[in-house]
Amino acid sequence: MTLLMQEVLGGLVLGSIYSLVAMGLTLVYGVMEIPNFAHGHLYMLGAYITWFLLVSAHFGYWPATLAAAVVLSGIGALLEWVVFRPLRNAPQVHAMIASVGVMLFLEALAQWLWGPDFQRMPTPYGRVLNAGPFTVSEQQLVVIAAAIVCMSLLYLFLKHTPLGMAIEAVAQNRTGARLVGIRTHRISLITFGLSAALASIAASLIAPIHLIFPAMGTMVIMKAFAIIVIGGMGSIPGAIAGGYILALAESIGGAYVSTNYQDVIAFALLALILFLRPSGLFTKGV
Amino acid sequence: MLQVVDLTVSHGALQAVRQVSLRVDEGEIVVLLGANGAGKSTLFHAISGLVRPCAGRITWRGRDLTGLRAADIVAAGIAQCPEGRMLFPRLSVEKNLVLGAYPHRRDRARVARALEDVYSLFPDLYGKRHQPAGALSGGQQQMVAIGRAWMANPKLLLLDEPTLGLAPVVAEQTLAAVSDINRRGTTVLLAEQNAHAALSIAHRGYVMETGRVVLEGTREALMGDPRVKEAYLGL
Repeated sequence: MTLLMQEVLGGLVLGSIYSLVAMGLTLVYGVMEIPNFAHGHLYMLGAYITWFLLVSAHFGYWPATLAAAVVLSGIGALLEWVVFRPLRNAPQVHAMIASVGVMLFLEALAQWLWGPDFQRMPTPYGRVLNAGPFTVSEQQLVVIAAAIVCMSLLYLFLKHTPLGMAIEAVAQNRTGARLVGIRTHRISLITFGLSAALASIAASLIAPIHLIFPAMGTMVIMKAFAIIVIGGMGSIPGAIAGGYILALAESIGGAYVSTNYQDVIAFALLALILFLRPSGLFTKGV
Repeated sequence: MLQVVDLTVSHGALQAVRQVSLRVDEGEIVVLLGANGAGKSTLFHAISGLVRPCAGRITWRGRDLTGLRAADIVAAGIAQCPEGRMLFPRLSVEKNLVLGAYPHRRDRARVARALEDVYSLFPDLYGKRHQPAGALSGGQQQMVAIGRAWMANPKLLLLDEPTLGLAPVVAEQTLAAVSDINRRGTTVLLAEQNAHAALSIAHRGYVMETGRVVLEGTREALMGDPRVKEAYLGL
């Protein structure tokens, strides 16, 4: 029972990160129909920038996290403007290939700037709390709480502000959105920035638990794609649910079967869900 | 008020609109008749700034609109209810309508007033305002689409085949609503295949065939024209 509880906690921590990353990926997919393979590497960049600000610029943990999110939103917007906007009217595969190019570029850039070694991020929440046989680190609680705050803020933003509604409108009918006077280019720019900021926050949260290295985005992006396919492409609730489902399956499965099979379990779950519901759990059906 | 002069619009090698000229005066309902593929929608897209014309001019109250962006054209007072409605299907009816007033989103009182106007024109929508627009019947979705375009308080409303796919009774109600919008002070340019119903509410009209305007005149002249009778009125 304790083992199960411990794994559920681990699953919730990992699920919070997966969900934040997948939300950004699904937002960009919904608004622009671009499967952004570079999204995981924006996450990686967010981790490095947070780490740099903490260690070299002596920022506090939260100021570094916020500053990295701001920097990443700028980088995301720049990517939309320089790389993806010129491909707006090209076949989708062009944007896909471009995003793979951005991914390789960012990984090489990180390697050049910070080297290929693993880095450890310090955190002010290093204490471990014990409740009987049950152990939990402060950072784990911080991850879960901060993820919930981010998701709630995103929800309020999308549902209750004119800009958020405009983002949803563009995702649901781009031409309809242009006809009511929404500047769809501007919405694409904002969406990309928002998506990169979410990835950065996720990375700042998990980096003190995991390690930082130039290829850290690769596995995360694979998982995030699996999640948005499970949840239904473009669906935010789907990304959140999918993120927690996948992470819980991984950590519980890993504990009871074998940690070597964690990723096998995750992708077997993907195959199973797609077999039962080919268009995902939260399909955007009309 | 709206003047289109020698407008040509191409889709690749195909000229969908060829040297079309027409005008709409303040207070009118002008109907644009023509079969599928005659170029009506392309002309509307050009007026709304969705496609760039390759030649010709569009002027609006003395101002050149040619090549402006869609958002600027809505802000200038021309709103379009497009063919196929292009609603936001998973947003509520009310959000669809509120988004119609996007250029005026900071003026909350104005948005609230416009919303009231739409509900007074289409009382059925009020009871459905929290439902997703995509869950409504075709006729009600058409009301949402017209309402959404009208939410911008346009001086000129472009309506592209609003009765397409609707049952005859519903189509008639929809055109009655268009007439009502016009009486409340909005000028209307209406594209229709349903010539009889459209001409019955219009002041003037144009007939398009393969990208060109082939005929124009007042309602009476068009209704009496043998070519219109044969091709569009089925007489």
